[in-house]
This record gives sequence, C-alpha cells and structure tokens, in this order.
Amino acid sequence: MKDNTQVLTIITWAILLSSVSILLNDMREFDFNQFKEFQNWARTADKNESWFTSQNAIKWSYYAISAGLFFWRGYLIYGFSYFLSILKEVEVGNYFSEKNIKYFRKIGNIFIAYTINILVLRFLLAATNKSAFNFFNELKTEFTFLIPAGLAFYILAEIFKHAKKAEDENKLTI
Amino acid sequence: MPIIVNLDVMLVKRNMKSKELAEIIGITTANMSILKSGKARAVRFSTLEAICKALDCQPADILEYIEE
Repeated sequence: MKDNTQVLTIITWAILLSSVSILLNDMREFDFNQFKEFQNWARTADKNESWFTSQNAIKWSYYAISAGLFFWRGYLIYGFSYFLSILKEVEVGNYFSEKNIKYFRKIGNIFIAYTINILVLRFLLAATNKSAFNFFNELKTEFTFLIPAGLAFYILAEIFKHAKKAEDENKLTI
Repeated sequence: MPIIVNLDVMLVKRNMKSKELAEIIGITTANMSILKSGKARAVRFSTLEAICKALDCQPADILEYIEE
C-alpha cells in the first residue's frame, strides 16, 4: 500500500507542478500592465457617458473577466493539492480520519465552485463580447466533468464518515 | 448506557488484577480499561466466554441491566 501511495504522490506532484507551470506561463503571456491603463482611463473617463455602452468599459470588463479565469484556475490547482494531504494521511494509516472526510468535502466544493464560476465567467465574457452563449454547449465542454467528480467526492466524504463511525465502533468492541 | 459492566466487583471477589485478567483472556490493558470503564460499545461472545472462564462466573455476574 505504501508503494502505491508513493507512486500516487509522485503522479499528483507531477500534475500539480505541470498545472502550476502552465498557469504561470499563461499569466506571463497575459498583459497585466493593462490594469494600469484602465486606472488611468477610469480617472479621465467622461462620467456622463453611459457605462454599459462605453467601449472602454466593455473592453475592460472583458479583460477583468479573463483575469478572473486565472484566479479560478489557481483555485482548482489548490483543490488538487488536497490530494497530497489525503495521500499523506493514507501513508500513515489514517484511512478514515476526520481530516480525510474534510479534504474530500473541500475538493468537492472546489470542483463544483470552479465549474459554476467558470460557466458564469464564460457567460459574462460572451455577453461583453456580444457573441452567442449556449449554456448546453458550455456544459458539454471538457471541464464540466468536474461536476460529477465533485459530487463523487461528496459521496466519498459521506462514505468515509460512515466508515469512520464503523471503525470507531469496532475499536470499542472488546 | 443501561448495561453496566461489573468486572471490577468480580475481580475483587476473585482477588485478581485487571492486568492479570487481560493477559489470561488475551486482550490489551487499554481494551480492558475500556471494558471496565463502561466505554465499550459491544462485547464479543468469545471475550465474554474467556472472562467467564477466567473468573469462573456467569455472564450475568459481569453484565447488569439497569433501566435509565
């Protein structure tokens, strides 16, 4: 079991590091200096002009939403890091610990929060871009597998909760 | 729990220490402590049989039901 745990830990580390490097590379390519330009624009903008129809506002909301997508990708990677904590618990033999139950719930929360927020941000992006947004097409895209995965983690947390109860009961059976 | 474990009483009657009994019936002193303190959720028939054999008594001498 320990060997399997070590292999899984190495795989998880490899996935985490490659995800972080991809995210950092995307962020490097993203021009964050535009935020400064936005601040300057906001200072000099004509207050009488309608905000929603302003080209600048549309451009910057598109830009801010794109930046928001980075945050959620980072949050998802943070969720993956909980796998390491679970594997650490398994390695020391605490299979049905309170910590594991908590980690499973957190991973479930993160997966579902990520998918919902990405869907909302993509909808907003499409709205600012005035392009068509098809909710069902977005649901079909590859990232939505995280919703069933998130639900699976909730179920696992529930199973582990009952397993812990059974284990505690077994410990108190003399 | 309305089930009371009277193991202490039987041990005094038989002039036996709990550590000694734990060794005879093959359980750890930690488990013996759980059993004596009434924290145990269940007792296996095999454990009960071993206790009765070691203390030369009946299950009723060890376990008692008191309505809450």
